[in-house]
Amino acid sequence: MNRPSPFDDVRGQLGTLLPRLRRFARVITRNVEDADDLVQVAVEKALMRADQWRPESRLDSWMFGIMKNAWIDEIRARRRRSKVHAPEEAGLNVGDRSAEDRDNSLSVQAAMERLPEEQRLAVALVLIEGLSYKEAAETLGIPIGTLTSRLARAREALQAMLDDAREAPR
Amino acid sequence: MRFSDEMLMAYADGELDLVARAEIEAAMATDPELARVVERHRALRARLQAAYGGVLDEPVPAQLSSLAVAPVTAPVVDLASRRVAPSPAAQRRWVLPQWSAMAAALALGAFIGVLLLRGPAAPYEESESGLVARGDLARALTGQLASDPGAGTVRIGMSFRDRSGSYCRTFRLQHEAPLAGLACRAGEDWRLQVLAAATPEGGEVRGAAAMPMVVLQAVDIAIDGEPLDASGETAARDAGWRAVPESAGEK
Repeated sequence: MNRPSPFDDVRGQLGTLLPRLRRFARVITRNVEDADDLVQVAVEKALMRADQWRPESRLDSWMFGIMKNAWIDEIRARRRRSKVHAPEEAGLNVGDRSAEDRDNSLSVQAAMERLPEEQRLAVALVLIEGLSYKEAAETLGIPIGTLTSRLARAREALQAMLDDAREAPR
Repeated sequence: MRFSDEMLMAYADGELDLVARAEIEAAMATDPELARVVERHRALRARLQAAYGGVLDEPVPAQLSSLAVAPVTAPVVDLASRRVAPSPAAQRRWVLPQWSAMAAALALGAFIGVLLLRGPAAPYEESESGLVARGDLARALTGQLASDPGAGTVRIGMSFRDRSGSYCRTFRLQHEAPLAGLACRAGEDWRLQVLAAATPEGGEVRGAAAMPMVVLQAVDIAIDGEPLDASGETAARDAGWRAVPESAGEK
């Protein structure tokens, strides 16, 4: 067989996926530096276990799964370390777009910040990255019913927070 | 017919089959409230996408794009190139306990920048069991507490016991090109487990935050339980850093 090695295969495809991996990382870490660190770590991990990726499956969901696990490990380690270590600075993504976009971006990020981790992951995969419910459930390793109810709760909470923000006096 | 909110959400997300879709669309045609709920779901999705869409247009940092196209051999840093162009990764504060490749690298010893300090005054030397601390570094590892600012070039970071019960300590060497590492007690020696380029200690970056990522990862892989506190550290030093077998009580 003359197909590329799994390593080259994964590496080749990752190049085009990077913008989306960065976006997913930004959503789940809520911090610009953490997000790129997470992408870097995930890419390194993926390349090291490229042989575990099945070419018939989606590389993006596989990567999201690696990133989710790495992030959860990181949160645990950080919690353990927090006695020694100052907490991470919060960071918001404020691009150089129009004021309206920026307002939206800020209020959405503030609302996302308040979701529980598990709901934020569901939102990131389905609503932002566009995975199907089934793909997202597989990526997170949870039943599809659990995914659906997390997503529904997250949506309800986000909607409430964003409506509040909009109605608040300016 | 009433539809659950989850069903309307699934409809808005394009998750329903043809039949269910047709049912909802028929109901929406006569029930503006239903149409409004679906529209709210769609609008929220669009808002979220807009909020994060900007990330897609940002240029990908070179350190990431180079990973995906350039050959990757090992997740270690090269001191020489880092000194020329410190990359954001140099300041990475990440720890990854289950990073298997790191564990593999540790088994071989991850020494980065070692060659730069070889010479008569080097703070370590090659022994049969690998690199061991010598000189100031060895003295500091044996005698200095983390709370001591240290008169010399060595600062101690944290001390802990590894899974085999041996004591290990992280340290920084204040040189022109600062180094940081992890050493574990082996007999009367301190065997170096990791040595890596460190970012110069500036202003607010202190303590664990000033340790390079590879050192923090090595700690996470090796550590058994929590780091020693000040009294534990003093007691361990006073006892000569003798390894404490698993679950052994105070002597």
